[in-house]
Order: sequence, then structure tokens, then C-alpha cells
Amino acid sequence: MTNMVEYGRYPVARLAVPEWMLRVEKLGKVYGAHDDEVIASTGPESGTSKSSLNGSIVAAWDVSFEVAAGEALGLVGESGSGKTTVLRCLAGDLSPSVGNARLRTSRGEVAMFDLDSAERRLLRIDTLAVVYQDPAEGLKMNVSAGGNIAEPLTAAGWRSFGKIRARASDLLTRTEVPINRMDDLVRGFSGGMKQRVQIAKALANSPSVVLFDEPTTGLDASVAAGVLDLIRSLLEEHRIAAIVVSHDFSVIEMLTSRCLVMQHGRVVESALTDQLLEDPHHPYTQRLVAAARA
Amino acid sequence: MGYVSARGGLGAIRAAERLVRRLRVTSESSWLEEDQILEKLRLLVDRVMGEAGLWAPRLAAKALRQSEGDATEAVHLLRAYRSTLPRVSYSEVADADHVRVVRRIVPAFQRVPGSQLLGRSIDYTARFLERQSDDLAREEAEKMRAGTTTEVNEAPDSSGHESDDLSRSPKRLLEMLREMDLVVDRRLTDDPEPFDITRTPARPPAPRSALLSSMTRADTGALVNQWYRNILGPDGYLHEVTLGEVRHGSLSVNVTHPVTGESVNVTDVRVTEVEAIEDLEGIDEDRTRFDVGYGLCLGHNERKAIAMANLDIACHRDGGRTQLEQSLLLTTDALDSAGFLEHLKLPHYVTFRSMIERKIAVRKARRRDDD
Amino acid sequence: MTTINELIDISPSDELLDEFAKREIRRAILSAVAIPGYQVPFGSREMPVARGWGSGGLQVTLAVVHATDCVKVIDQGDDDGVNAVNLRRLITSSTGASETSVAAEATIVQSRHRIPEDGLDDKSILVLQVPVPEPLRGVERDMRELARMHAEADYSRMWVSLYEDKVRNGLITQTTGYPCHVNGRYVVATTPIPRWDIPRLHDSSFLTLFGAGREKRIYAIPPRTEVKPLTFDDVPFEVERADGARCSLCNSDDAFLVSLPNSPVWMCSDTDWCRRRRELTR
Repeated sequence: MTNMVEYGRYPVARLAVPEWMLRVEKLGKVYGAHDDEVIASTGPESGTSKSSLNGSIVAAWDVSFEVAAGEALGLVGESGSGKTTVLRCLAGDLSPSVGNARLRTSRGEVAMFDLDSAERRLLRIDTLAVVYQDPAEGLKMNVSAGGNIAEPLTAAGWRSFGKIRARASDLLTRTEVPINRMDDLVRGFSGGMKQRVQIAKALANSPSVVLFDEPTTGLDASVAAGVLDLIRSLLEEHRIAAIVVSHDFSVIEMLTSRCLVMQHGRVVESALTDQLLEDPHHPYTQRLVAAARA
Repeated sequence: MGYVSARGGLGAIRAAERLVRRLRVTSESSWLEEDQILEKLRLLVDRVMGEAGLWAPRLAAKALRQSEGDATEAVHLLRAYRSTLPRVSYSEVADADHVRVVRRIVPAFQRVPGSQLLGRSIDYTARFLERQSDDLAREEAEKMRAGTTTEVNEAPDSSGHESDDLSRSPKRLLEMLREMDLVVDRRLTDDPEPFDITRTPARPPAPRSALLSSMTRADTGALVNQWYRNILGPDGYLHEVTLGEVRHGSLSVNVTHPVTGESVNVTDVRVTEVEAIEDLEGIDEDRTRFDVGYGLCLGHNERKAIAMANLDIACHRDGGRTQLEQSLLLTTDALDSAGFLEHLKLPHYVTFRSMIERKIAVRKARRRDDD
Repeated sequence: MTTINELIDISPSDELLDEFAKREIRRAILSAVAIPGYQVPFGSREMPVARGWGSGGLQVTLAVVHATDCVKVIDQGDDDGVNAVNLRRLITSSTGASETSVAAEATIVQSRHRIPEDGLDDKSILVLQVPVPEPLRGVERDMRELARMHAEADYSRMWVSLYEDKVRNGLITQTTGYPCHVNGRYVVATTPIPRWDIPRLHDSSFLTLFGAGREKRIYAIPPRTEVKPLTFDDVPFEVERADGARCSLCNSDDAFLVSLPNSPVWMCSDTDWCRRRRELTR
């Protein structure tokens, strides 16, 4: 069920899902002082995220969406669109200026932004995982592949060496990392292999939400295709609520069923991914789709 | 009292102590008097007091004599003595503006109100080792003391001041820079209690008073080395520093009388004080202004105070990005570093046995794996 | 308000620490006992022994000792080690406490790197000298991050290093100062005592105090406290053992033994234990 709201001249489907796992409401992140006028001086119609009034940067504003278990939501836009800002606020790497995010966990509903940093870190152990564009952000380079996976497992209380190793080797097998490299330091792996280890680590404690930030950007096309294929099959296998951030519509197309298009910090269009690709409304979306098709 | 083993440890210690004492006092040269140390090795005495964090010139001289010139050992003697003394009182706030200067230079300007007072400094004297015989040197000294050499009479006023505007407590350059609105104002308005590092160990993030107290008591070499690495080392970055005030002078230390409530002078200490003016050119910094670092230590120790002032502003600008604050708070104390280093001389045979055991175990495990 | 004369009266000049310092240290000890395994910062004073040579252990002992106490001081288990002798005479001469080498007779045992093989009971206080109180320093350098890790009981990096150790070497190669989980909450560095001594910390009858003078921290393991060496459930905690080794003097194989270099000759590290064993078998 969708209801349409007006955003400028273009309809934006407010994507409501009955059984959401993660619900974000009016998320905003501003660097610098801001009031209504400052906010209004930025966005797609102003053509910038930086306010001409006081130089404040409205990196993201009025972002709302829901994601259900087993579905992947895309956030697409060029760099500076605010998509990575949104992801980092959800990951806990940034604090939002306004808005809230509710997470449905086995322990009940959690208002993520109301938690302190220690509680956010606990969430990251077994409920919410992040796969970063740069594997060095998500992995310890001077630790082995198995050791990197051992980190979330031990954080969740695993204390059997044999079981930790078995689980790590299962995950690495599933992410197609050669088992004979399990004890090698991640530093020596290729880019694609590092991403696979990062994905394995993210899945270690079977989180209900996984955030992917440009998971294949910077990888060779063939390597990227393999990683994308892996992510797609993993998402199908587990009932994960996923958010995929990318500037590349082909990635969005492959992994997501619905997506939001962001420009200058705002959501300019949102719809089912197929529909967006077939019939983009907003000129910015049209540009992005055309680029993907080229 | 139960069985006490007396196999040889106590005997060994006593023999070592006898050896130390004997050589200290029975060598052929004449007795080294405290006054000689105070007067002829004054800079060493000042350095030791500064690193001990204790103003007690005569005790510092005794400590240096006892330690046979080992400055760090002398600092240990002073600090350990201090631990036996109860803290009787706290002084009133000593305003460094009231330092009565005997030396004051301001490299940032050619002329300043209150004058540039070179004072007793060797900075511009050529470093020639005076190699005349001991007897000749003593003869010349005698003549100078008696006032019979021409040199004394010909020299201009030995203070070397440049203008007539000679003030013992000149107006601070920082004040003048503030009046020109050239300095970022970081003065605190809430007058917080200073952090007492002798009562609470400082850990990052620590208030500025903790950083300054740690540096004022730091080992001189350690602080200079920290500065040098910070400027030139791989982990350092460029600073554009000009010195503002470099002062040496005496400061009254007063306490409030517990009965009459009056301010009573208990002693005068000598201090070295430095302000380091840093050019701000960082992205988030105010390019139209300077910021200033502060250094102060007991006694006459310019290189320490300069390093301290530089590191104060470097640490502020670092803003916690690196571990500079941690380095300054935790790795610059003379006794901590020297003591820990030298503790390696203590027996470690239990640990060593444990290490050998693990090595043998690892080899066994590898042989098992190979089979 | 205390007068200067009163201060002089209660701080006799042959004492190593002024009375207020002792009170501060006692307060820190109380906090440490109340929160087993938590490193309590304290205003560590300089002592007549250098930093790294037992200034922390000495401060702890001086804060709790009375003239009625009986003190044993050992280094590597040896009462006659020069540093132990130096510390013992400092303590007894400045406090009037008596001395012994028999652990069962001592009310306070100050030790560097060993726990006496026997003799400690619910009337004993064991004071251990600590060079480095931070168990996580091998996995983290930044003190702010270390404080967070302890505050949040986030010890996963420690577990990863144990995992890597076992993977690389086939077993956990921690030698002395083995990290232990105390009272189910804090991970502590057990100073460089051998693994041999670790089991005696668990559910002990005696109080153990840890003094780190240079690092300015005090921590404690109260009696009857759970102390578990960090290891995986399926990786046994191993103490130092040499097959067939026996003390060449007393024939023990149930004490911690040390040897001469490249030699099959072993000796008890706990010299008083060895002496009493020899007397028994005479």
C-alpha cells in the first residue's frame, strides 16, 4: 500500500510496510547552525546542500522510510546526496540532528537514537551489522580472516574455540573465501576477498538488519559482479532487512525491491525499483537511470 | 617472630652501601660544600628542583651531592622526602604578572614596552671551552672578585638592557596582543579548581591544568625530545611558532595566615616563563588570529619552559586526534621512565622460566601437528 | 582544623609516608575491594624505592600495616632476594612491625612475582607488586579507548588475540601475568605471577591487593571471589610443568620450580617452602 505525497512537482510514494523491522522518521543531519530558513535554502531546488545564508551543510533532511524483514531497500544518489550520511547515522558512526529510528528486536522495539554509545555498540553485536565500502573500516587488517569473524562471535559470548572456528569456516565457505586462507591476515587479501570477509563477519551473529555502504565500489567489474551475486543470494537466504547505499543504479537494480533517490540531502523520488527504472519521474532519477543503462 | 632467612641478601646490600658511601666521602679531593653546588652549579640545582616539583635549593644541593651528580637520582631523593611531609597549606594564587624579572626577551618584536632585558645569558656568547689550567682560572677569578681587572670596569651595565624604560614586572606581550585583538581568547570564566597530579593521576582527556603540571615537572630531556619529534618527527606536523615572552625572575609565594587572615610571604621562588605564539592556519581555525601556549617551571630552565609552551599549544590544536596528550601526561616523568627502565635489572627468573616453558610447549604442539 | 604541631605529632619523621597519604591510599584500597578487579586510580607517592621496583606494593603495605603485624617480603619467591631484603627492612624499621619468612606466621605478605605455595589464610593480606596493571595493553594503546573497554566490559579484542594465539601457535602462549576474569566483571592483569599461582587466587581465603606505583593504580581480589583465567571452554588453562622435574634440595614436584641455565637441576622458587620441606623429611 502506498500513499502519494507531493514533493515539489513530483510524486513521492510514502513507502509504508505492514511488518517493518526498521522504521526511520524524518532523519536529518546538519553541520552548523540551522533554522527553517537555513533548511529551506538548501535542497534540490536550491541545487546545493550548503546554505547560502550561513554556510551550514544540510547533509540530510526529512528522510523517512521503513524496511521489512527479508527485503532490501536502496538509497541511490551521487556523492553528496546524503545517502551515506543516512547510513552512518543508522550505523551509529554519526549522530543525527533530528529524527528517530525504531528497530524491532527480539527484545522489543528500540528507539535507536535514544540509546547511549554503549547500548548502540551492543546493537551492533547481534542486531545490526554494517558492510563498509572500505574493508579497512569493517575489518582489522592485522588479524586473520577467522579472527575477524571471531570478534563478533566472542562479543556475543561464544567461548568454544572449536565452535567459533566451525562457524567462521562456515561463513567463509558461504562467502566463497578459500578455507585455506582462513588463518591468513586479511591485510594480504585482494579487495574482493576482503569484502567477502567483511560480509562473513557482518553475518556472524545473524543480525536482523544489515547496512551496505557502496559494497562493490572500487572493485573490478567482474569481482564486483561476484560480490553482488553473493549478497543477493545471502539476502534471499536469510530474512534480513537490508539497506543498500550506492551511486550505481545497476547495483540497486540487482539487490533491491524498493528504493529512495536522494539529491542534495533530500529524498526526491521513491518507488519500487523496477518501476523507478522503467519510468523515472524526477529529472535527477532519469539522469541516474540513463547512466546505469549506458 | 618466625624464622628469618639471612643467607646473604642483607650482607650483599650492606656491602654495596658501604662501597657507595666510602667513595663518596673518602676520595682525595676536598669536601664538596652545599654552597659550592648552589652557587657554581646553579642551573643543575634549578633543573633538579623543577623536575622534583619542589622548591628547596639547599636540599637539592644535598641531593646532588649524595647522588654524585646523577640529576634523576637527586630528583628521586627530593620527591621521596616530600612524601614524608604532610601538606600543611595551599598558597594563594601567585600571579605570574608579578614576577620580578632579571631576564626578559620578546623575540616577536624588536622593541617592547618594558624593554628587552638580556640578563645573564650565554645565548650570544661563543662556545669556547676555557682550557686554561685550574690554577690560572682560580687566579683570574680571584682578581675579578677583588675588582682589579679592567674588564669589569669597562663593561657597560651588565644587565644589557636596551632602553631606559626598565620595568621589573613589565606588561605582558600577550596583553598587548589581546588589545590588538590578535589572539584567540581561551581564558576560562569559571575559575575551576586546578588539577592536582600529586593526588589524582591524570589520564586523557585531562584538563589543561593537568597537562601543564605534568609538563612543569617533566624530565627536561624528555620534554625537549617530545617537542623535537612533534615538529620534525614522522608523527609530527609543522608549527609556525614565534616566542612571545621569555622571562626569568622571582615570584613571591604567599599563604593566608590561618588566624589573622592576612597574606604572609613564605618564600620567593625563581621561575622561567614562556609564551609561545602559534600561527593558526588549520581548516577549522581562526586564520585572523594567533593562539598562545604557556610554559612555566621552577628555576632557570629556558629550554624546558620553551618546550612546554610549544607542546601546550600543540596539544590544544591536536584536539585529541593523536596520542600526543597521552604521551605528555604519561611518558615524560623522569622517575617513572628511569625507574621502570632500570627495574629490568631486578631478577626476572620466574617470568623467564614461564617463557621457556611455553616455548617448549609450542614446539611440542608443532611436532604433534606434523605427525 | 589540624594544627601544624598536631601534624608533626602524627607524622613522625622516620615514616616513609605522611598520614594523609596513608588515608588516601586506604580509601583507594576500600574502593578496590568493593569493586573486585577494578583499577582504582590513586595519588601514588614517590618512595625510597624507585618506580618499577615496588613503590606501589610498598605504599599499599604501609597503608595497612601496624606495629603488631608480622611481615614477609619475597621476590621471585625468595625472602633473601636483595630487593625483598631492602623492602622488608624499610617496612620493619619505619613501622615497628616484626618480620618472618614463614607465610603461615605472616599477617602481610608483600611479593614480587609469586604467591607463597602455602600458609595464607583468612588473616593474611597478600600485596602484589605490579609493573603494568593493564591487561589489555597488548591489544590497545590509547588510554581513552582502554577506559571505554573496561567500562563497557568490551573484551572482544582480548578474545580475538587469544584466538589468533591459539591458531598461530597451537596453544595459548601467555606466560606470566595471565589475564583473568574477576567476579565475572573485570579482566585483570595478575602481575607477572606464573600460571602456577593463578588457581590459588580463585575463591581464596586471603585478600589480595595489587599495587602499581608507577601507573598509579590499585586493584583487589577479595577473599571468596571467582577468578577465571581467560581461555576458551575447549582450550585447557595450562600451568608451568616440566616432566619429571623435582627440586634437587627437597624433592618436591608440587611447587613451582626454576632451573639453572641449560641444566637438569631444579629448585623451588619458594625458598621457605623448600626449607620447611627439607626439615620435614629430615
